Amino acid sequence: MTFIEDQIRQTARKYLENDEVSCVIGYERDTRGRSRPVFIESVDQVDRLVWGPDCNLNLASYLHERKHSPGKDQPIPKTAVVLRPCDTRAINLLINEQQVARENVRIIGVTCEGSEINGSLRVDCEFCQERVPPLYDDLILTELPVEVPESADPYADINEMDQWTPEERLAFWTSEFDRCIRCYACRQACPGCYCFECVAEKLDPHWVSIALEVPEKMFFHVMRAYHLAGRCVGCGACEAVCPMDIPLGKLNRKVAKEILELFDYRTGDSIETHPPLVCFNPNERLNL
Amino acid sequence: MLDTNSILTTPGLATIKGMKDLADNIKLVQVRFDDPDARKNFSYAPGQFAEVSVFGVGESPFGLASSSERGDIVEFAVNRVGTLTEALFRLDVGDQIGLRGPLGNGFPMDRFKGKNIVILGGGIGGAPLRPIIQTILDHRGDYGKLTILWAARSPDLLVFTDEYDLWQQAPDVEMFLTVDKAPAGWPHEEGLITTLLEKINPSTDNTITITCGPPIMIKFAMMTLEKLGFQPDQNWVTLEAKMKCGIGKCGRCNMGGVYICTEGPVFCFSEVRQFLESFV
Amino acid sequence: MKVISQEQLNLWLADLLKQTVVVAPIEKHGKIQYQEINSISQIVWDFTRPELPPRNWVIPMTEPILFIEQGPTTVLKQPDLPHEKILFGLRPCDSRSFKVLDALFWDKEPADPQYARHRQALTLIGLACPEMWDSCFCTVVGGAPDDTEGLDILLTRIDDGFAVQAITEKGQALVSGLDLLQWSGVPADPSEARGLPKLHESAEWAAVFKDVFWKELSHACLSCRVCSFVCPTCRCYDVRDEVIAICPNGKVYERLRAWDTCTSMGYRRIAGGHNPRETQVKRLKNRFYCKFMYYPEDFGVLGCVGCGRCIDACPAGIDILEVVEKVDLKLAQAQI
Repeated sequence: MTFIEDQIRQTARKYLENDEVSCVIGYERDTRGRSRPVFIESVDQVDRLVWGPDCNLNLASYLHERKHSPGKDQPIPKTAVVLRPCDTRAINLLINEQQVARENVRIIGVTCEGSEINGSLRVDCEFCQERVPPLYDDLILTELPVEVPESADPYADINEMDQWTPEERLAFWTSEFDRCIRCYACRQACPGCYCFECVAEKLDPHWVSIALEVPEKMFFHVMRAYHLAGRCVGCGACEAVCPMDIPLGKLNRKVAKEILELFDYRTGDSIETHPPLVCFNPNERLNL
Repeated sequence: MLDTNSILTTPGLATIKGMKDLADNIKLVQVRFDDPDARKNFSYAPGQFAEVSVFGVGESPFGLASSSERGDIVEFAVNRVGTLTEALFRLDVGDQIGLRGPLGNGFPMDRFKGKNIVILGGGIGGAPLRPIIQTILDHRGDYGKLTILWAARSPDLLVFTDEYDLWQQAPDVEMFLTVDKAPAGWPHEEGLITTLLEKINPSTDNTITITCGPPIMIKFAMMTLEKLGFQPDQNWVTLEAKMKCGIGKCGRCNMGGVYICTEGPVFCFSEVRQFLESFV
Repeated sequence: MKVISQEQLNLWLADLLKQTVVVAPIEKHGKIQYQEINSISQIVWDFTRPELPPRNWVIPMTEPILFIEQGPTTVLKQPDLPHEKILFGLRPCDSRSFKVLDALFWDKEPADPQYARHRQALTLIGLACPEMWDSCFCTVVGGAPDDTEGLDILLTRIDDGFAVQAITEKGQALVSGLDLLQWSGVPADPSEARGLPKLHESAEWAAVFKDVFWKELSHACLSCRVCSFVCPTCRCYDVRDEVIAICPNGKVYERLRAWDTCTSMGYRRIAGGHNPRETQVKRLKNRFYCKFMYYPEDFGVLGCVGCGRCIDACPAGIDILEVVEKVDLKLAQAQI
């Protein structure tokens, strides 16, 4: 048990013992040694909770009832959830969009040393300056102070991509989306995707063909990136769950960069701020 | 050898011969196969269904609402609820559609011979029951007393209203109508079909019941029938489920290991009770 | 035992490639995938199991199953017959999956015409696994690393070549022209994974249908389609008409069939909104029960070949082998 795991378990125990929550959502290790989400509902199970760089989902996405459909007529349970700093930004977003009520969630925020996908540190984490969650009920500390990377351009790879010709960009993304199997894992793991019926699957009207071919796959991903404009927190869950290793984070960071430049807006700074594309601000002036 | 042109797997073309308003947002579509052989060969039992193609939209299953014995016009009722039914509503006499079938098992009419029959129809659920009524009327001597309980949310949602007189004129037939909420001057019953059922309290002796309607109505009708002394094996139901293929391939309609499309849609309620998954 | 050297095998494959379409494991985007090849040098010989199953060659991810020309009258056209294909280098679990799919799409009347058209065109040549890898469990579901089920020919690697077993007449005909060498040895037995759980008979599964562990298991399920899309035997599909041409006299549509899965939220939702499987526990349970109870009872074969792809791909760490183990445990507890 690590220093962090000890604190997570103690916090979970506290919440369950006090009956403050009915469930703690965190990570456990399966018999094969891999991390996976776990729903702890009783005190005697809290020692299953673990922490590590491979705990790379955003557990906030388990908070929307609509996506996970616990069944009609069930009260929304009070839940504690283990989150990284970027993950907690999603809570701000979800509260702002009235998908989650603050009083129903206890945030066990973990001081973050970065998360890994397939054993390598995520691009976002390389430049991330935010190691302490902007929102938490309990702060989990690291044993040693976390080294914050020196300030560097977090969008270096995006700037590089921006230099490509449109043909080069199209060729790159066509090749990436070619291997997409339209499994929707990216969408299902995303805290910002909670539509009851996704446009990609809606039958009436039928916007997107059911075909699993490049145009549909590209349409789906680009549409999702647009729907997440100013709403993506950069948690990387989409990329972590993608069975075909498509660099979805790159697409989302491209949009995040545009939003930052156009609106000086970063998702999830607080409960009060509305994503710029879903609200109207008469004083808004774009520097186009 | 593989028959790639089987009408079970490839639609046969049929032309719309009539579109009748049955109720608010419910139409009866009357079609006839273009191919004379298909007309002859397409014989079906009450309770069977067909996959109807609206070209450019897709296919959906519809319970056949006509009796195969009454001619080569095939009828089914359409409730405007989704894309395909919306598209069907836009079609008119002379337009072509596709039909695959007949699919499913149908009611075992032979087993019902000599028995008293109680029919419970809810809303558009009355449509697949109509061929049973027609068959009984066409062979009146083969069956016992026929009691029809017909329900809808409101009077404008009752289907086949123009046929009630004909049905009731037949010997040994009783018919009762009920609506959830009756307007002023409504001469029939008010309330749920289960209330009506309790009031009529049909004898269980040598009787079978046949129910079709929304899942929730079937659930409560079965509870009421049990209360009135009916055994599960006296009660027959026809179930609905989302389907694509209608021939047990696409994996959409199973309730536990039972495929509604091939093993149903008609079931004895004693079988339904054995399903691992609830039909509601 | 007949054997063939790697060199001779390559020559034979190069010859086959001139005559027909050959699908084989190759590396693409850093992953091993069954793909049509245009050169023998593309074939990867040492691999565990390809990322995606070979069912794309009988039920393509997307394909038209009917063409509809709608003008003054309507004309329906069947798709063209698919080209003959050799699937080379199939892992035995994957070749077994064709038996599973055959049971439903072909053996159960009426046969699915499009499936049958694809299936008729296939010759299956397998490559035995030297061992069971992490998350493999073919032996739990009746298979083996050197199983021949579904195959026309099985190749097993030996020191300086491959042992050749022609399984079917089709396979025999294919190897008959080959100059195979006689070999007195026997290929080494593949090493089998130990300590795997016992799979219970389909009928026994009913007893644990209402157990609470399903609910606990399903909490983490994201209701995505990964497990089904990497599965060689999942076969749920969606069908929809799409416009492909608009002409002066009318329109041409194709009736598209595309992969779909019972684990997605709206799979069972009907027009009007009713959804009998609206919770993820119901959906997840359906997938496992389909594999281990419904499929064997309805179609006579287990619906799982033990490839373990879903174990590796599930983003929520749901492990089909843990399910099998849990059911075993629950049934054992019920006995006491």
